Amino acid sequence: MSWDDKLLKQAKKIIKLYPQKRSAIGPLLHLAQSKDGYISDDSIAVISELVGITEVQVKSVSTFYSMYKQEPTGKYLLSVCKSISCEINNSSEVINKVQEFTGLNNNETDEEKLFTFEAVECIGACGGAPAVQVNYETVEGVTSENAVNLCKWLKETKPEVVVADEMQENFGGIKSFDWAIQDSSGATSTAPGFQTLKTTKVKK
Amino acid sequence: MSEKVNLNVNGIEIESDPNKLLIEACEDSGIHIPRFCWHKRLDPVGMCRMCLVEVETPRGKILVPSCTTEVGDEMVVDTESDVVKKAQEGVLEFLLINHPLDCPICDKAGECPLQDQTMAYGPGESRFVEEKRHFEKPINISEIILLDRERCILCARCTRFSDEISGDPLIEFIQRGNKTEVNTFPNEPFRSYFSGNTVQICPVGALTSTSYRFKARPWDLKSTRSTCNGCSMGCSIELNSSQNKMLRILGVDNDAVNQGWICDKGRYNFEYLNSDSRLKNPLKKMDNEFVEIEIQDVYSELSEVIKDKQTKVNFLLGSNLTNEDYVAFREFSEIISQSEKSFYLNDDLLFKGFFGDNIELAKIDDLNSSDAIVVWAEDLKEKIPVLYLRIRQAVKNGVKLVVFGHTNETLSDIADVYYGKETVSENFEIVKDVSKLKEIKDLVIGKNITAILGKATPYQSDESVTKLFEFLNLNTNSKVLNAYSKGNTYGAFKTLENVKGLNDFVNDISKESTDLLFIVGADPVGRSVYSNQIKSIIKGLDIVVSLDNFNHETSEQANFVIPISSTLGEKEGTFTNIEFRTSRIDKLVPSPGQTVSDWEFITSLMNFAGLTVKTNSLEDLNTKAYENLEDSVSPVFDNLDKPSNLDGMVNVSKPKISSSVRTLIKTMFFTGEKLYGDSVTVRHSDSISLLGSKKYIEVSESLAEKYNLTSGKCTLIQDELEVTVSYEVSKSLPNDLIYVPKNRRDLNKFDFSREINIIPSQVKEALNVN
Repeated sequence: MSWDDKLLKQAKKIIKLYPQKRSAIGPLLHLAQSKDGYISDDSIAVISELVGITEVQVKSVSTFYSMYKQEPTGKYLLSVCKSISCEINNSSEVINKVQEFTGLNNNETDEEKLFTFEAVECIGACGGAPAVQVNYETVEGVTSENAVNLCKWLKETKPEVVVADEMQENFGGIKSFDWAIQDSSGATSTAPGFQTLKTTKVKK
Repeated sequence: MSEKVNLNVNGIEIESDPNKLLIEACEDSGIHIPRFCWHKRLDPVGMCRMCLVEVETPRGKILVPSCTTEVGDEMVVDTESDVVKKAQEGVLEFLLINHPLDCPICDKAGECPLQDQTMAYGPGESRFVEEKRHFEKPINISEIILLDRERCILCARCTRFSDEISGDPLIEFIQRGNKTEVNTFPNEPFRSYFSGNTVQICPVGALTSTSYRFKARPWDLKSTRSTCNGCSMGCSIELNSSQNKMLRILGVDNDAVNQGWICDKGRYNFEYLNSDSRLKNPLKKMDNEFVEIEIQDVYSELSEVIKDKQTKVNFLLGSNLTNEDYVAFREFSEIISQSEKSFYLNDDLLFKGFFGDNIELAKIDDLNSSDAIVVWAEDLKEKIPVLYLRIRQAVKNGVKLVVFGHTNETLSDIADVYYGKETVSENFEIVKDVSKLKEIKDLVIGKNITAILGKATPYQSDESVTKLFEFLNLNTNSKVLNAYSKGNTYGAFKTLENVKGLNDFVNDISKESTDLLFIVGADPVGRSVYSNQIKSIIKGLDIVVSLDNFNHETSEQANFVIPISSTLGEKEGTFTNIEFRTSRIDKLVPSPGQTVSDWEFITSLMNFAGLTVKTNSLEDLNTKAYENLEDSVSPVFDNLDKPSNLDGMVNVSKPKISSSVRTLIKTMFFTGEKLYGDSVTVRHSDSISLLGSKKYIEVSESLAEKYNLTSGKCTLIQDELEVTVSYEVSKSLPNDLIYVPKNRRDLNKFDFSREINIIPSQVKEALNVN
């Protein structure tokens, strides 16, 4: 098995949460994503053994959902929304500037494995359009200038944990909601930050 | 009795069982609804949308897919309205967007549902001018199956088959939306015993087989319905030939037996018919060399021998004879000998079985209607693959499955209870008190049980299985399915008075008891645990006549080798399967050279010798085979050819098996057979010949430790014989046991009842040093 004991222990904990083993395949794939930055065939083999279905069945699920990456991602996954609200609020400009700064086309990763860029469909932040996600941590009301600043900041400081609230304060604008609870935890990998998966951490 | 529902389809009142799908109800009433993804043996998915029909609802008429809609009382359905027609045209236009126009080079063209339905329901013209989707054409997804993803219309029939029916989902949809394709996991090919079925049910030419690819066009094919004689299941098959060459075998949906499915061995193990190495002329051994002679000369030489009333003749019969062949040999033996004759079957597992007067024999369909199935037999997936599918189906329908022994480990995945090495010892004995096992109390005692019983290995004592049988007979309402796995074994039971197995052959046959031995369609030297003993017995006999399709290790020892026509498509007759269902074997292609049928040979020989022969034709033999049955139920040709009897006729009979009782032979080897082995027919069937080439053994954990086997290869040594095999350490084998697939090349040469030395391979040791 290519997973270490710590990860396996966590996987077994997750499996126990479900009445049927195979139901755990979704979170386990997130776990695989957090480990390698993509869903490797090795991880698929591990998951198939853990939940008792064939490898190709796991592969089938992992290739169906776009959040499970089939190619290795950089340290930071930059997702810029291109759906209607954001588009009306000039997200194409954001996309252009981010692409210009990173030098990446859609779904590309740079050579240093720092950034992966993608233009995505609605990420549920229409009220705060245009919206951007870094490792699925959402920042709203991002101007094209601030988007570039955000990228610069990531490139210079290379934070281990990216926190939505922190980025919102420094690079964001209008938010969809302003009554949300303050949350100082953020994502540690290109998998979304879930407590049960331990892919999230409080930034000190 | 559940009440029927009435519905109105296209203005016609039809009746249907409730809970039926609309498409099925219409089909039963003769109203055809076009479809691609729906298949009556698979769960509905509603993938292709071709079966859209209009149904009246309180909100007006709406289009619904008839394959996922259940019938309702007073439902009003229209399958031919303008709206439906427009929907069908639209669906077809979408399906054809990415479908390549390579019908002229496609195997499916001519019998292609997509082609046919486009003609019948499609739009006349294409409006699509853009570039079609492209994939690499075609890719090998296994040694015998090719996949052309451009042609695929994503109906999910193949993926559903492999998931629901055969239980080895090695193909799945990969990606999503426009990029969706069927594929395997990298380096994990679609190695399934049933993969050929996916080719048959593919509604386009996406899945093709290496065997049939580019061989013929469907409209050039001649076809006939026959019965597969590969194992005792007797699956209904359709034979296809072109220009007198057998080209393809398809499964036929026989509800009581195979339900349309057949195993890959049954599907592709016909290629040997066209092999160049097939015997075409009779051979006679002169000065240790075979020379070709005329069949007339064989008759005249042998007739001299049998004219002598004192000649002691014996028969070793294989399992690929038709019932009529068996009867011919029976007639022959009755004419030449006054005393009762025994017939030796080429089966080292043969034992008395469970056919007593107070035993009710099970039918295959009983698997579905019983409360639980109890299995202790050979590995059914390897030996009777389609019975394995029927067990899977029963389990899916909620029947409980109780499996005994490490011999049926392939069933353990779907078993409710699997009694492995803790319960069944290395001596193949149940070491626990069965009546006290908790699961047995819950699932078995007092219930309706179908027991599939047979010996798992030749070294097992008869008594061990009998004990389990007696327990079941006493404590449950049980029916027994005796699991003799070889070909037409039940036909031999039905037609021959007194049958024995190979162990009796070894004990009985000697120069004193036998002047003339007929070995028919059998290679016991090549493929039995008594290989060496039988070889020396045959060597010691005066005249041995081998009748077979090929020269093999047994016929090498014979004085005469007669080429015979194959039971697969080269002769007519009848076959009796595991539930005593007799069905037709039909002829489609001529056999090569001077080949004769077994019955022709023996009948001609009798005539040549001037004996009074009562059965001179196939019809005579066929009538003779069932003469003790009433006309109305007798499976003679006339009755079997009636449309209502195409699926065969069941006449249960209680055979007389006079096999002597065997006790346990203590050995650390447990021999079994894999589906693909080193038989002469598989070896000469190109597309599957390599599938059984891997030589390996499975070693129990304790022995792996004892012989210092960790991983890699090892060498088996006995006398001067050395064979290197790869091995796997098996957790399911009891201590001190080694599993050997004895039908793999070279492995049959060992005498597993004696000691065999095992050493880790030298190569491996050298690697470890480095």
